Amino acid sequence: MSLLAVANKDFQDTVRSRGMALLVALFSLLVAVFAYVVRPQGQADQFATELLLSAFVGPVLVTGLVPLVGVVVGYNAVSGERESGSLKLLLSLPHSRADVVFGKVLGRGAALALATFAGFLLPALVLIVVPVTFNAGSFLGYTVFAAALGVVFVAIAVGCSAAVATRQRALIAGIGVYALFVLLWGLFTGRVIGAFSGPVEALPVSMAQIRTFLDVANPTSGIEVLANGFLADQLFSGESANQQVSAVAMLVFWTLAPPLAGLLKFDRDDL
Amino acid sequence: MTAIELRGVTKEFPGVTAVSDLDLTVEEGEVYGFLGPNGAGKSTTIDMVLDFVRPTEGTVTVLGRDATVDSVEIRRRTGVLPDGFSVYERLSGRKHVEFAIESKEVDVDPDAVLERVGLREDADRKAGDYSKGMRQRLALGMALVGEPDLLILDEPSSGLDPAGVKDMREIVTAEADRGATVFFSSHVLAQVEAVCDRVGILRAGELVAEDSIEGLREAVGDGETLEVTVDAATDDVLDAVRAVEGVDRVDADGDTLLVSCDPGVKTRVIAAAEDAGAVVDDFHTSEASLEDLFLAYTEGEGVPTRREDAGTTTDESAVRSEGVDG
Repeated sequence: MSLLAVANKDFQDTVRSRGMALLVALFSLLVAVFAYVVRPQGQADQFATELLLSAFVGPVLVTGLVPLVGVVVGYNAVSGERESGSLKLLLSLPHSRADVVFGKVLGRGAALALATFAGFLLPALVLIVVPVTFNAGSFLGYTVFAAALGVVFVAIAVGCSAAVATRQRALIAGIGVYALFVLLWGLFTGRVIGAFSGPVEALPVSMAQIRTFLDVANPTSGIEVLANGFLADQLFSGESANQQVSAVAMLVFWTLAPPLAGLLKFDRDDL
Repeated sequence: MTAIELRGVTKEFPGVTAVSDLDLTVEEGEVYGFLGPNGAGKSTTIDMVLDFVRPTEGTVTVLGRDATVDSVEIRRRTGVLPDGFSVYERLSGRKHVEFAIESKEVDVDPDAVLERVGLREDADRKAGDYSKGMRQRLALGMALVGEPDLLILDEPSSGLDPAGVKDMREIVTAEADRGATVFFSSHVLAQVEAVCDRVGILRAGELVAEDSIEGLREAVGDGETLEVTVDAATDDVLDAVRAVEGVDRVDADGDTLLVSCDPGVKTRVIAAAEDAGAVVDDFHTSEASLEDLFLAYTEGEGVPTRREDAGTTTDESAVRSEGVDG
C-alpha cells in the first residue's frame, strides 16, 4: 500500500538521523537525573515511581519536551522535501499527496515513539536491576502516553509542514503551536473565559464545563488527564472517566485534523 | 493511443507566463526529444504532465487519462527522472530502489536495477555520499523499475560524464526497443540526435518547431558554411562577399570569413573576396551542426552559422535553476 511505503521510507530515513540518537540520549539522561533525585533515602527501599513520573518526568519531560520534539521531528516532513527537491523523487512514484502527508505522520510518529521508548527504557532497565522496589508497570505504561503525545504533535507539525512552502515557515507555525499549547494555554483560555463570561451565562453550559472542555482540548493537558488516571489506577473509570473519554476524542482530533487541513492546501499547490 | 497530449495549455506563474497555448502530441512507442534553452518552459511542461503543477488553461492527457485526476494511475505506469531533485541523503542506493519497487508494487530484484545503471558496487553506500552523476543514475534506476509504458526524463544527461551519457543513450534505446514511449528534455541537441524519432523545440513557452531531425535540417536550409581564411578581413571584403548572389550571411571570425551560401556560388565568393583585395590563404566548407540548427530556432536567427564550440555534450548543472524552469 502506497501510504505504508511512504511511512516505511520516512521511518527509515528519520531513525537514521543524528537527531534521533541525540533525542534518545537526552531522554535517557533526563529520566536518569530525575530518578537520582527521587532515589530512596535512608531506610526506605520503596522507590517512588509515581512521584518520579507525576512530579518530574511528567511536567518537565513529557508535557514540556515531548511536544517540542514532536514539532521538530514533524515540521520539515513535507516542507523540507519540497525545499530540497526530494519531493520530486517521491511524487515521481505513484503516491497521492494524501499518501505523502499521512504516510509522513505515520512514519515520523513511529520514529518518535521508538525514540521515546528507547529513551525511557534505558534508565528503566537500570532501575529494575538496582535493589529497590520499582513499579515497572506504571513506568512503561506512562511511556505509552508520552509517545502518544509526541505522535499528536508530530501530526500537527506535519500538517503545518504540508500547508506551507518553506521549511522556515513550517518551523514558525510549529513553534507557534507549541507556544500556544504548552506555554500560553492557561493565559489564552483564561482570556477566552473572561471575555465570554457574559454570553456563557445565556448558554445551557456551566463555566466549569467549559473549563473542563478547554482542559482536554489541549493535547498536553489531555494526556495529563489520561496519564494521571492511569497512575491512580482509574483509567476510564472513577470520577474523571467522562473527561478522559473526551480527552481521547480530542487527541484523535488533533492527530487527524491538522494533517487533513494541511493536505487541503498542499493538494492544490503547485510544487 | 497517444502517450502524451497537451491541448491549448497555458501556465502562468505570478508575473510570468511559463508556457503559452501549447499543443504537443507524443505518440505511443516513439522517442521524443523536447528541446529548448534553459527557462523555455520545458520543466514546467513536464511538471504539468506529472501533476506537480496544474495548467492555468488547457488539458493535459497522459496515457489516455487526465493528468490531474488520474495522476497516481498515470505514475504507476510511468518512470520519471525529474529535474532538480535530491536524494534521501541518509538512505542507501539500494533502499531508494527498494522504495521505488515497494511504491510501484512490483516484484523486481533491486540488485538487477542497480546493476543496469552501474551502481551495483555502490548500492550500500548512503546516497548522500553519491556524486551528481551517481544520483542521476540512481533516479534513472528508480524510473526504470517495473517496465513503465512511458519514460519521462528531464535533462537526463545533466551531471553525467561522457561514459554516463553513453550509458543513458543505450538505456533509452533499449527501453524504446522494449516498446516504451520515451519523452525527454534537453538543452543540448547533440544528445537527442542519436536516439530521437522526433524533436520539438520550445522557445519562451511556445513550440517553435516539431519534426524529425532530418525534417528540421531541411526546414532550416542546406546549412553549409564556407570558411575562407584571408590576410585581412576588412569591411570592404565583407561587403563584396555579401553582394554575391546566393550568399545569405557573412560573419568575420578574426581573419576568417564565415559565409552561409548556396553550394553553387563558392567559387564566386572566393573570387569576390580576391577582387576586393584580399589574399585567400585557405578555404573549406563545413556542414551546419545540429547545435547551429538548434540555435537557429531558439535564438530566432533565420540561418544557422557555424560556431567554434558547436556540439558540446558536457552539461552544467549550475544553469538548471532558472526561474521558470524550476
